[in-house]
Amino acid sequence: MKILFFTGKGGVGKSTLAAATAWQLSRKHRVLIVSLDPAHNLGDIFGVEIRQETRFADTLYLKEIDLKELSKAYLEREINVLSDTYKYLQVLNLDNYFSVLKYSPGIEEYALLSSIEETIRSESDYDYIVFDTPPTGLTLRFLALPQVTLTWIDRLVQIRRKILEKCYTIHRIRGPQSQGETLLSYDEKDDGILQKLLALESGYHSLKTVLKGDDCTIALVFNPDMLSLKESVRLVKGFEELGLPLRLLLHNKISPDNREAADRVENEMRSVSKVPLKRVAFLPDFQKDNGTELYNIREDLTPLF
Amino acid sequence: MQFSLFEFLRTVCRNIDANHRANACALTVTEVEELRNIFALLLLGSFVGLPSPPSFLAVELLPHMQKELEILHKRAQDSNDMLAEMCGILGIG
Repeated sequence: MKILFFTGKGGVGKSTLAAATAWQLSRKHRVLIVSLDPAHNLGDIFGVEIRQETRFADTLYLKEIDLKELSKAYLEREINVLSDTYKYLQVLNLDNYFSVLKYSPGIEEYALLSSIEETIRSESDYDYIVFDTPPTGLTLRFLALPQVTLTWIDRLVQIRRKILEKCYTIHRIRGPQSQGETLLSYDEKDDGILQKLLALESGYHSLKTVLKGDDCTIALVFNPDMLSLKESVRLVKGFEELGLPLRLLLHNKISPDNREAADRVENEMRSVSKVPLKRVAFLPDFQKDNGTELYNIREDLTPLF
Repeated sequence: MQFSLFEFLRTVCRNIDANHRANACALTVTEVEELRNIFALLLLGSFVGLPSPPSFLAVELLPHMQKELEILHKRAQDSNDMLAEMCGILGIG
């Protein structure tokens, strides 16, 4: 199974090219295209209304992920775990107190990341999963998340192990506990926190392996203008820092009028990244109203993936 | 109840033994408490303005943190007289 991410500045044509790629790949393979962008327009491109997983063709399925819904579901799950642990507190309205977490930074990215992880894990019968990502900022943040989180988990595990080690020493010196004393857990298996941390670590580790693996491709879409160039250069550097596999540059919306600017932008891009580059033409009559389908573009993108 | 000298001596010995053992690991117990306090502070530091890990990590671990939170609370109460606390731990005065 191959995983493709389409990234870039807002409005450069990520969704259109992701849709076009998915459509072209679906002639030979089973493809699922997932929109992670809060401003969904996958449905508009394909001209259908998307609910959960929608079948577009025999080998092409569409899915839109609702971030708000996801964050809510995630928080509800956590609140359930909390109220299970503190059963006696059920009389208090816990979820009221926790609703403030909705506004905490990080929850959205986390929800996004776990939905990517879940999609990759559960949809294994597809040959290709194409992700249409939100604009630059959020994309970089959630792709960086496994790395950041793993660093934190690593440090917390270290402290936790040290605590358990010391608890073991105390246990050995003191000998059997007298009645009424709380038993300090010293075994790694008895420590809920360490177990949870290790479980999280293994989850993130496998996600990091998938994201950095050979089957994952990140395609960067940009336009022949300075703004999109500047942001794309930042993205290229961001991916480099995170060690993520940027494997393709798509230069979109090129027309005879802007060919000169396109050459200039392309030269600049070449100086920061050496990955293959493909030009995609801008079609002025490219509108659904006059019968052309938005996902049906002239260029064949399949050999690139 | 029958008085037994042997039983009495045994209890005395056991208490002396327990006392010595408790003294021997008193410092380690404090150390563990401090470590747990640090752990909780690191994880939930955003409440007191420390840079915190991704907040969902705290949310994930919160259900298991009862003991840590108790320690955190106790530390916060004792913190106005840390000198006395340290003297107590080190057996000074």
